[in-house]
Amino acid sequence: MPPTSGHLIRNFCIVAHIDHGKSTLADRLLEYTGTVSQREMKEQLLDDMELERARGITIKARAVVMYYPRNGDTYELNLIDTPGHVDFHYEVSRSLTCCEGAMLLVDAFQGIQAQTVANAYASLEHDLAIIPVINKIDAVHAQPDAVSQEMEQSLGFESTEILRVSAKTGVGIEALLEAAIDTVPPPEGNPEAPLQAMVFDSHYDEFRGAITYVRIMNGKIEKGQKIRFLRGETTHEVLELGQFAPTKQPCDLLHAGQVGYLICNIKSMDQVHIGDTIADPRQLAPALPGYQEPQRMVYCGLYPSDGQDFSQLRDALEKLSINDPSFDFEPETSDALGFGFRCGFLGLLHMEIVQQRLEQESNIDLIQTAPNVTYEILTKRGDTLQINRPQEVPDSGEIAEFRQPIVRVRVILPADYIGPVMKLCQERQGVQQDTEYLSPTRAILTYDLPLAEVIYDLHDKLKSVTRGYGTMDYDLMGYVAANLVRVDVLVNGNRVDALSIICEKSDAERRGRAIVKKLKSELDRHMFEVAVQAAIGARVVARETVPALRKNVTAKCYGGDISRKRKLWAKQREGKKRMKSIGQVDIPQKAFMAVLETGGDS
Amino acid sequence: MTPRAAYVHVPFCRHRCGYCNFSVVAGRDDLTEAFLEALARELSELGTPREVDTLFIGGGTPTHLKSPSLVRLLEIVKYWFPTASGYEWTVEANPVDLNPETAEILAAYGVTRISLGVQSFQDRKLALLERDHRSREVRHAFDTARQHVSSVSIDLIFGVPGETLVEWTRDLAQAITLGPDHLSAYSLTFERGTQFWNRRKKGELLPIEEDAGGQLYERAIDTLGAAGWEHYEVSSFARPGYRCRHNEVYWTGGEYFAAGPGAARFINGRRESNHRSTSTYLRYLSEGRNPVQESELLDNEMLARERLVFGLRRLEGVALIRFQQDTGYTVQQLAGEAVRRFLDMELLEETATHLRLTRRGLLVSDSLWPDLI
Repeated sequence: MPPTSGHLIRNFCIVAHIDHGKSTLADRLLEYTGTVSQREMKEQLLDDMELERARGITIKARAVVMYYPRNGDTYELNLIDTPGHVDFHYEVSRSLTCCEGAMLLVDAFQGIQAQTVANAYASLEHDLAIIPVINKIDAVHAQPDAVSQEMEQSLGFESTEILRVSAKTGVGIEALLEAAIDTVPPPEGNPEAPLQAMVFDSHYDEFRGAITYVRIMNGKIEKGQKIRFLRGETTHEVLELGQFAPTKQPCDLLHAGQVGYLICNIKSMDQVHIGDTIADPRQLAPALPGYQEPQRMVYCGLYPSDGQDFSQLRDALEKLSINDPSFDFEPETSDALGFGFRCGFLGLLHMEIVQQRLEQESNIDLIQTAPNVTYEILTKRGDTLQINRPQEVPDSGEIAEFRQPIVRVRVILPADYIGPVMKLCQERQGVQQDTEYLSPTRAILTYDLPLAEVIYDLHDKLKSVTRGYGTMDYDLMGYVAANLVRVDVLVNGNRVDALSIICEKSDAERRGRAIVKKLKSELDRHMFEVAVQAAIGARVVARETVPALRKNVTAKCYGGDISRKRKLWAKQREGKKRMKSIGQVDIPQKAFMAVLETGGDS
Repeated sequence: MTPRAAYVHVPFCRHRCGYCNFSVVAGRDDLTEAFLEALARELSELGTPREVDTLFIGGGTPTHLKSPSLVRLLEIVKYWFPTASGYEWTVEANPVDLNPETAEILAAYGVTRISLGVQSFQDRKLALLERDHRSREVRHAFDTARQHVSSVSIDLIFGVPGETLVEWTRDLAQAITLGPDHLSAYSLTFERGTQFWNRRKKGELLPIEEDAGGQLYERAIDTLGAAGWEHYEVSSFARPGYRCRHNEVYWTGGEYFAAGPGAARFINGRRESNHRSTSTYLRYLSEGRNPVQESELLDNEMLARERLVFGLRRLEGVALIRFQQDTGYTVQQLAGEAVRRFLDMELLEETATHLRLTRRGLLVSDSLWPDLI
């Protein structure tokens, strides 16, 4: 295949809320353009990971080239797949940078959802040509006219430009391809200029090493030449390059405007940074703008439920991080749970995905502690500390400012539920930014909220107060000073390190009470009274008491009972040894788990 | 040194009570002959008769046997375990079974002590416990026992579902009025494999609260103490001079012979127990096989630890010098740290010669033993 001339190339992506049919549409486009035959068509071809299919979320971006003949020309259409969730905001932004257009897909029954709005805004920010599409018009409850109105009202589209398709049956696909050619501008960029290529994704192949996905912005890459990662500061030889269609199609050259892959015998994924710029070492061009380090916002502890699996868990995490450099981990030791890892994630969904993948791919039973966000502390000495776990919070006397991440949350919901959702957000220190009606029956609420509140229980609570109809999405706004405290848990006056939490001072009593209540219910009676307290520094904010054991004496003891009792007591002694003893109070692992997994809420 | 005590287990019962997890068969009187034969065969392994100071025939319900069978049982036991002078020979009896004829036979063979399974004087409790007698039958059985043997003991159970302090106090008062020489007060336990266990799991039976159980137990200690019974072991009370010498052998690390299904023996530092299933026990012996199901040789340290724990269950406690002489270990060596902690917490106390439980320690004693065993 000769290289396509720039004006015949179209680079675009499909963006949609979860389950609005993105993968099915991609399949139809591949099929309609003859890129794959119907026979070859595996359902949802682009989502080749079982987990992604189960969740209906495309996690890792891919790019597929399709050829479409029209009026004697053959157009090269590059479909760039984007992650569908805000946790992957940065990866999404890199993918969008590689496109000139986006198909914004909306379900003909569900209408606009939170991620529809987020995706539309992101596409606009990247100056993409947006093709609004209503999908599933053949569905029984489809109401394309109502959805069309919502799109006009909230996103400002003209009713005439909104396409209606059924990705399932193929209705409207041709018109969509035509619109892609007509609406999406061809890429700019000079094939003769020095090389600048954007790395927008990568994955690891066991045999070939890193597969790096690139969009050539300027210049060209040829097989056998040397390339330089400007950010990674490494130089490699290009062993193979090409495009996916949807399997690898090697070629000799990629030029400005094209999207494809590179294989350079890179054995460590640490060297491939999403957002990095590839240049020609003989003629170094400046880096493209917009590179960021992955920002991990949510942390939790992962522990093998059987202490002996520690090294197995480490191997599994290492394997996983090869393909997911945005996730990081470091060993930590918990008084309660033994040896495990502190793991950082882009967000809550990212965390869930990693955990599920670990359990599915490595068959490890995990204990996961309640997640917390990364806080920032400005000390009186002027240092800024990143706080990933409550134990790292210094004494209050050393803190000049305690900051937490704030996110802007968009909730799309039936108007009937506006009251309860506003109440929910206000209870969580939310500050209302906007209310907008999509239609007389549906609205978008926008709140600024602490991320900690969002990951604590907002999503679950939102689903329950809106009976599953509310959807939400959020963007990180930044760090804001807040009245935060570390709440410690004490048993008979001794601090249980593993159970400390960080929360709003005004919320400390409620949270503290929930934890001490939970812990109390998990403790056996001791031979003395046990006070279970939550405290901020020396000030106790909640207390429960486990009364002293009153009676534990079995009566009968015949000749035959002696062996039996001896064995029973020996077993109890072994059980006690496995418990964590804090100031003579024995705390079973089960109790730590009950508190850590729920953060005190039952 | 050869044991000076022996236990014989008779597994037959009219029916199995819901709380009972002993080795028992109900409604299988047809196995009586086979049992007596098996018992004789098991005991014949002793080779020669062994003289003992204490004998205990328990069950099951030994008095459930028809007179001729009972006679044969006593013959066998008496042959293999001739009694030394001043001996104690206890037989367990059920109030319904203990008629003058039975008591006569027991006395004729030299039984000195009858342990009567009264359990309660309250018909509500008796019905709940699925006992086959009622309150009014107890007096009669007791009098019969009194007329034939020199020592009568009764068993009482407390802490059954729904039991109040008032109900239990009434039981204690009636027991005192009845006037046995010895009394065992057991708190009801839910044992795995019993109907009560399953009924509790299903929520049909609600165990009484821990605090209430403690109250009942303390009421027994106080009431019986005031009426002149010495509280000498966790669940045992005796008029002066009427302790159960056989049980004291168990609790002070003494050795003992045993025969019958599920019976446990302790000989030459080895603890053994027979197969708990009566039919398996019978089959093994009929096939000439050894009926032992579990066997464990204890080392000196374990023997010492057992002796410490079971010794502490006796209210007078452990005589420290004697303990070291007999076991070769000091208590300090075995469990110094735990003992100090329990002394600090006033769960244990030291006298000039003994280490013993305090009242509070007694009430929670099962929580102490894991640290000492």
